Amino acid sequence: MAKPEGYKNRIELLQGTLDMLILQTLRWGPQHGYGIAQAIRAGSGEVLQVETGSLYPALHRLEKQSWIRSEWKSTEHNQRAKYYELTAAGRKHLAAEFDRWTQLSAAIAGLMEPKEQS
Amino acid sequence: MSIRDFLNRRDKDRELDEEIQAHLSMAIRDRIERGEDPREAERAACREFGNRALIQETTRNEWGWGWLEEFWHDARYAFRGMRSNPVFTAVAVSSLALGIGANTAIFTLVYAVLLRPLPVAHPEQLVELLQKYPGEPRGNGYWSERSVDHYRQHNHVFASITGMGIDNRAQLRIDSPESRFGVAEHVLNNYFVELGIRPALGRLIGPQDGKDNAVTVISWNLWASRFHNDPAVLGKTIHIDNKPMAIIGVTPREFAGMRIDAKTDVWIPANEVNGYNLIARLKPGVTLTQARAEMEQLFRFTIEERAARSTDPLVQQLRVEVEPCGTGFSKIRDRMGDPLTLLMAVVGVLLLLACVNVASMMLARGAARAREMALRLGLGASRGRLIRQALTEALLLSGAGTLAGAVVAWFGTGLLLRIIASGRPAERIQLEVGPEPPVLLFAAAVAMLTGLLFGLVPAWAALRSLPAFALRPSGRTSETRFSRYIGRALVTAQVALSVLLLGSGALFISHLLHLRSADLGFRRDHLLLVNLDPSIPGIRGEQLAQIYKQFLDRMNTIPGVRLASLSAPTPLHGAGASGFGTAEGVPQRFEERRRISISWVGPRYFETMNTPLLAGREFTLQDHSNPRIAIINSTVARHLFGDRDPLGKRITLDGVTGTREPSTYEIVGVAGDTNYMEIREKERRGIFLPAFRTGRVTAGTFLLRTDVDPESVTAAARRAVAEIAPTIPVTNITTLTEQIEATIVTERLMATLSGFFAVLGALLAGIGIYGLLAYTVARRTNEIGIRMALGATRAGVVSMIVKEALVIVGAGIAVGIPIALWGQTLAAKFLAEQMAVPVTSFFLGSLVILAVALLAAYFPAQRAAAVDPMESLRHE
Repeated sequence: MAKPEGYKNRIELLQGTLDMLILQTLRWGPQHGYGIAQAIRAGSGEVLQVETGSLYPALHRLEKQSWIRSEWKSTEHNQRAKYYELTAAGRKHLAAEFDRWTQLSAAIAGLMEPKEQS
Repeated sequence: MSIRDFLNRRDKDRELDEEIQAHLSMAIRDRIERGEDPREAERAACREFGNRALIQETTRNEWGWGWLEEFWHDARYAFRGMRSNPVFTAVAVSSLALGIGANTAIFTLVYAVLLRPLPVAHPEQLVELLQKYPGEPRGNGYWSERSVDHYRQHNHVFASITGMGIDNRAQLRIDSPESRFGVAEHVLNNYFVELGIRPALGRLIGPQDGKDNAVTVISWNLWASRFHNDPAVLGKTIHIDNKPMAIIGVTPREFAGMRIDAKTDVWIPANEVNGYNLIARLKPGVTLTQARAEMEQLFRFTIEERAARSTDPLVQQLRVEVEPCGTGFSKIRDRMGDPLTLLMAVVGVLLLLACVNVASMMLARGAARAREMALRLGLGASRGRLIRQALTEALLLSGAGTLAGAVVAWFGTGLLLRIIASGRPAERIQLEVGPEPPVLLFAAAVAMLTGLLFGLVPAWAALRSLPAFALRPSGRTSETRFSRYIGRALVTAQVALSVLLLGSGALFISHLLHLRSADLGFRRDHLLLVNLDPSIPGIRGEQLAQIYKQFLDRMNTIPGVRLASLSAPTPLHGAGASGFGTAEGVPQRFEERRRISISWVGPRYFETMNTPLLAGREFTLQDHSNPRIAIINSTVARHLFGDRDPLGKRITLDGVTGTREPSTYEIVGVAGDTNYMEIREKERRGIFLPAFRTGRVTAGTFLLRTDVDPESVTAAARRAVAEIAPTIPVTNITTLTEQIEATIVTERLMATLSGFFAVLGALLAGIGIYGLLAYTVARRTNEIGIRMALGATRAGVVSMIVKEALVIVGAGIAVGIPIALWGQTLAAKFLAEQMAVPVTSFFLGSLVILAVALLAAYFPAQRAAAVDPMESLRHE
């Protein structure tokens, strides 16, 4: 399926990263799938796009691992939607993931932009 | 995710659908709010969302039921395969159903009779004490109270001994004036304590209950059927043998006494029981051998006690046996255990045959599908995945077979119980059988094993074929030598197994026929037995004798009746009387004393029975005034008188069942030997006394020798009784044939079942041979075409196919006969007597399977002969 032209500048996310971003998004409160996608897109200045094909499997995977839980609620427009919410375990997992990511990105940054040659 | 989630996955699917729908709605709304045209907004949102079905699919995968989904797909695929090949499916499922059903039905019985532990505490410690005369079945139930006391005081091997007398015809009267017969146990007061039974209600008979305590414990069944499980039953009075007894408790539902073939209704404290059944509990650590050794010592006491009261020399040869009875008293096991074990072996063979049959059919189908398998392998399916697919198909088949088999088992068990229940009234078995968990487990295990067995062979064979070969344009090369070898081996095995089944079927059937045609000393067909009960109106003495004479006269005039007489007991009824006979003036050593069976018979009895009268005369009604006469049979004549003429001599009977006084009779006749109690009697010693004597008659059963079907004069016989003495009820009318059939229930069971299994086996083997040959012909169509093009005749082609069939049958017979002979020697150990020539029966079995094979080869051979060379080569 050909992708619409408008999306070609956006970066697709690796699975582990997507999980972390979803958890991060949910730190600010319960949110439904559409809202999470919008939040990541907006929060990244339209750079990061979340494929629904990755988003929903990720949400169901996280829920299965009890890092998030879900509940059906109404939106402000009276639309029924499934809201996801961070659990205590999810919070802990997010912290650990964030640490790992920080280390990893520091390491990659170190490799990619060497500050001084020894 | 749990299995509950799996079962709710329709709901989860719907929820996911809704979740995605909500996503789309929100996206569209946002776009509209941003000012897009509604239709354009919807299209854009959908485009942005992507492939909805695929996203749902990948999301569902996260739920973690992948393998279940896969199984579901495999099952659906297999199911479609089964539907598209209905003949294969029908044959496979029905042969499995018969195999599994027959095994389950027989195992249900085996379990109930041989294996099911009684619901008592530590059943494995329980033993029963039995007495055995040489050459007779052993029995519990003849122990005296003094023996019980002696064993209790002197043994070192039993933790406890308890016992009971069993009254199978106790009169029970509950709430109403009518009474009915029930089973009462007169128990020693440690009975319930030692068995470890806890009451369902109230209390049980215990050490505090004396012999005279008028209390009773009733069974759950009685409580439910007569008292509707009312707890207020405690303290109520019921009458047992006309004695009032207060109900003190109810036994738990699962306990109905120590016998598995009968249910006890009431338990009362033992008081003057004249024959106890004894149960003992082994001390921890004491072995059966130790207990037997000690009991043999202690048993001297009982022998001496018995010898003091008996004139039977055989008392000295009495033996004691100690037998485990945690699964109930051994009597029914002694009678049914060996036949059931044999039957289990026979149905085991049948199931094996069914499995082999299905395996060979699946192999043939697997070969036909080798291309499909190869294609799937070539497209990247893993071997494991394909094996799983094959196993799923096999399990689905065996699952369907099990379900159908459960139905077969249901009816089969009913049929078995009906055959068993056609025995003599006193030996009738009331088995409680039902779908017990172990039985169902057994069926399930058999089914699974079957599935694995015949699922793996074809899968393995298919995978051994190389994709490159299989995908060649001519698919026929796809069959490997390996799978052809397996195919022939399987059909050979089928033939061998069915030879086994046919042989055993022929064996048991010929054994039954042999029993049916055995010379019993009288003619068994065309004889009606009419049994009355004059004790109910209370007619007796001279009055009864007059009425019985009228009966005889009237019955002699019934059209179709050639001759009528009277006898008590009737042959092979299962009851009897006996005494010791001494010839006047002939000294007899004590050890030579033997029991002689006594029958009281009416005038012209021997003529009615078609028993030859060797010397002297029959009884007549004129003997009325001279009752001290007897007719002896030829064995007694030889035993007591040797070569001398017994006519006019005197014989004295003593030790007669039920009487004390010896009495002397003048011998007026000598008759041929006849069977008395059993169809198999080694020694037939008999004496006949007149039924009509001064002022009285021994009220026996009327015997009507008919020229017509004996059943057809039943109504006339009833009418005759009703006209002469309407108050005397006819209790039972049967034929002598039926009465004899009732004594050979086990043999009939074995013959019926093994005969049925033999037919099934031959049928299955026939299908197997047919399948193999049909497949061979299909596979070799072009080869046959070439042969014919090169000048082979049709007869030559036919003989080629038939030869293949003969080779397989020959191999099967060659394998089957030695196994069958080995099995026969094994069976002979089980069966009391040598059965009819086994070689003949296996020869017969081989002939049958040969005929079946030729029949099965006929159609494929026809097809082969009809091959058109041109057509077949175009096929290529």
